[in-house]
Amino acid sequence: MLENEATLEIQHLVSEFKPGDGDLLAALHKVQHHYGYVPKIAMRVVARQLRLSEARVYGAATFYSEFRLIPPPRTLVGWCSGPACRFKGGEHVRKALEAELGIGMGENTGDDKLGLHLAQCNGTCEHAPQIWVDGKVVGPLDAAKTVRLARELKEQP
Amino acid sequence: MPSYDDLRATAEPAWHAVAMPSRPLFVVSLNTSSIASGAEATLAALRELGASGGFDVTATGDTGVSWAEPVVEVRRPGGPAVLYGNVTAEAAPAFARAAVSGIAREHAIGIIDGPAREGVPALADLDWYRLQVRWMMRNCGVIDPEDIAHYIARDGYATFLRCAAMDRDELIQVVTGSTLRGHSGSFFSTGTKWKFLKDARAEPKYLVCNADEGDPGAWVNRVIMESDPHLILEGMLIASYASGATYGWIYLRDEYPLANRRMNMAIAQARERGILGENALGTGVRFDVEVVRGAGAYVCGDETGLISSINDMRGMPRIKPPFPAQQGVLEKPTNVNNVETYAAAATLLRIGADEFSNVGTEANRGTKMFTVSGAVARTGCLEVPFGTKVSELLDAAGGIAGGLAFKAMQQGGPLSGLLPAHVAAGLPLEPEPFRPLGAGMGGGGIVFVDETACVIDLNNMVSWFLEDESCGRCTTCRGGNQRMYEIFRRTARGEAHPADPQLLESLSATFQYSNCFHGSLSPVIMNNTMKYFRDEYDAHAVEHRCPAKACPGLIRYVVEHQAAAVADAAAICPARAFVQDAGAWAIDDAKCIRCHACKDVAPEAIAIVDKFADAAPPPASPLATIAPETVRVQARP
Ligand SMILES: Cc1cc2nc3c(=O)[nH]c(=O)nc-3n(C[C@H](O)[C@H](O)[C@H](O)COP(=O)(O)O)c2cc1C
Ligand code: FES
Repeated sequence: MLENEATLEIQHLVSEFKPGDGDLLAALHKVQHHYGYVPKIAMRVVARQLRLSEARVYGAATFYSEFRLIPPPRTLVGWCSGPACRFKGGEHVRKALEAELGIGMGENTGDDKLGLHLAQCNGTCEHAPQIWVDGKVVGPLDAAKTVRLARELKEQP
Repeated sequence: MPSYDDLRATAEPAWHAVAMPSRPLFVVSLNTSSIASGAEATLAALRELGASGGFDVTATGDTGVSWAEPVVEVRRPGGPAVLYGNVTAEAAPAFARAAVSGIAREHAIGIIDGPAREGVPALADLDWYRLQVRWMMRNCGVIDPEDIAHYIARDGYATFLRCAAMDRDELIQVVTGSTLRGHSGSFFSTGTKWKFLKDARAEPKYLVCNADEGDPGAWVNRVIMESDPHLILEGMLIASYASGATYGWIYLRDEYPLANRRMNMAIAQARERGILGENALGTGVRFDVEVVRGAGAYVCGDETGLISSINDMRGMPRIKPPFPAQQGVLEKPTNVNNVETYAAAATLLRIGADEFSNVGTEANRGTKMFTVSGAVARTGCLEVPFGTKVSELLDAAGGIAGGLAFKAMQQGGPLSGLLPAHVAAGLPLEPEPFRPLGAGMGGGGIVFVDETACVIDLNNMVSWFLEDESCGRCTTCRGGNQRMYEIFRRTARGEAHPADPQLLESLSATFQYSNCFHGSLSPVIMNNTMKYFRDEYDAHAVEHRCPAKACPGLIRYVVEHQAAAVADAAAICPARAFVQDAGAWAIDDAKCIRCHACKDVAPEAIAIVDKFADAAPPPASPLATIAPETVRVQARP
């Protein structure tokens, strides 16, 4: 897409948001919902729309862990870093995932097929230790189950 | 706009149709926990079965019984209402056949509305329920949270109407006099905060509902939002009348999409009926509210971080004063309360100060919601009187699972503390007894820890979180947490320095100078564990041994028996660490990442041994060569 074409599209996307009204988070969420991440150019458009400096928008976009600055993988695997998961072998699950996929938290595989995301407990601790595959809870896991699951995910077309 | 009586008149038939159905009604709990257990599939399966099976199906929020999700209640004309658990989609056909005309014994948890029968106990007699006083949770798992009619038919918004007829100072006085204090873990008098806002001079005034619930292991707020969203709105409406606030924000963490959807639905339904807006139910109260979706930042739970976040900034906490009641959202006077605090205020005013004070302790009347998780047999959310003992809560949760010993309790998230079993068990659940222990009670998340856990590993988890979530504004917190995490990491690697305990102590003394509580409370768990589990620190640092065999640098995975299963272990190893020599398997320790996968598939053949049982330990980390004397910090004057 051409840069000004993209600009127009984003402008349209965030046109409902107003300066001085506490809309920055909502605007960034809307951009991320549309593109799967927050492209740099969107920060400029959002800044203009909300009459904020680009630095301020960039500061916010990079402050919150849920905003992605790179395109999302096709399948996002969230790993729960919470206490119930930890006590039941969550670290084993993390190591197995990272080793089998060859990436760390916050990274995508080279083909952008899979990505890992460091996630926080959402109170579904009865499934600990768990991961979320595209938002769906999978657990309780152990390292061996995790390795098998990761291999299946890698095999997916 | 319709009057309250009109609303009530239309709401009652809708509620009666599900409360006293004319044919069997299956009520499926739909909440984040149950959905993780497959409740959506259960709902779909039951709907299909019901179409030809002579029963209806509807949904509710969360009973708190995470330990038996998917949970289904069956209400039957002429029969008892029964709560059932573990109703998966696969189990649904057989379950429905039995439950439609009798009691499906294999799934029964308890009889909701009467005594035990057919060998199924009354719900009220179960350990899980016996302690509970479900005041705030009275609609949880009972009404459909997506239908305002249910809430209204059960006296919803009647409390607000009554309050709006009271004198505002008298109303605030009732709240202050009730001992109600912030349920977030702040335990600051709610009435006093409302009065601050009322007395603030600038206009307009705002309310914030803190639904950021960032403490890992806590989901109390989620249960209320997913089960009874109007209770929160009613609490906010009451606070708006009392304080003169005209607009509000519900700051809701990104991890709770279902709560977000239900809160937004509740707001839309309340607006449609003239409950939110220019003239709430004809009382003259003007109040509206919107949901702000957070984006994953623990410090946005701190009220000043939260306000920065709504104000289009990075969610960095700042020094107080100015307090939110002086300068909050959009620089205007603002009151921030937790979700449960608004729910508790509405509940207190519904039942009246007298009855409210019959439950709880002298200093803390009423009830508190808790979520229990970790090493317990039953994970879930319950509401108990203040002053309930930790051991009683643990019993309700079925004790420690698997016959293991109770080692510790980690309550209230990473800033509240970790106490050993012998101290924790007898503690009454209210804030005061925790303080002399150098701990806090926190906002309701309680994670139980069994004997298999390692205290250093636990500190690694906590300090990683604290370092990752520090906003970075003050060096004390940012650098302090980096150093604390570094020390725990090297301890887990087996490279602890003999001076580390002193370094931790001086860090602990430094943290108090942080800008906000994230920093100043960061050393709480470290302090608690240094005090109560010093032997484990020494085992790691001095003996180079991890008693729980968890810390990666102090253990080794070895092939103990050349069994057939070892080939499976080698195949599962994601680090390709297995080597075969003359038919015998071994694990290349340099490659092994301690992920445990091999032991999962070959538990008998693979053993975990102390790495330095007979080898020399590694040299202490050079990072720690600063003389401890040079980093001593003066106690605060
Ligand atoms: C780092 C940090 C995180 C916090 N997280 C939350 C939170 O997730 N939810 C919450 O209600 N309060 C949280 N608080 C407390 C709030 O600052 C504030 O005291 C609270 O919302 C007041 O509500 P209450 O009066 O109802 O207790 C946090 C405080 C700190 C320092
Ligand atoms: S700790 Fe992982 S879901 Fe709660």
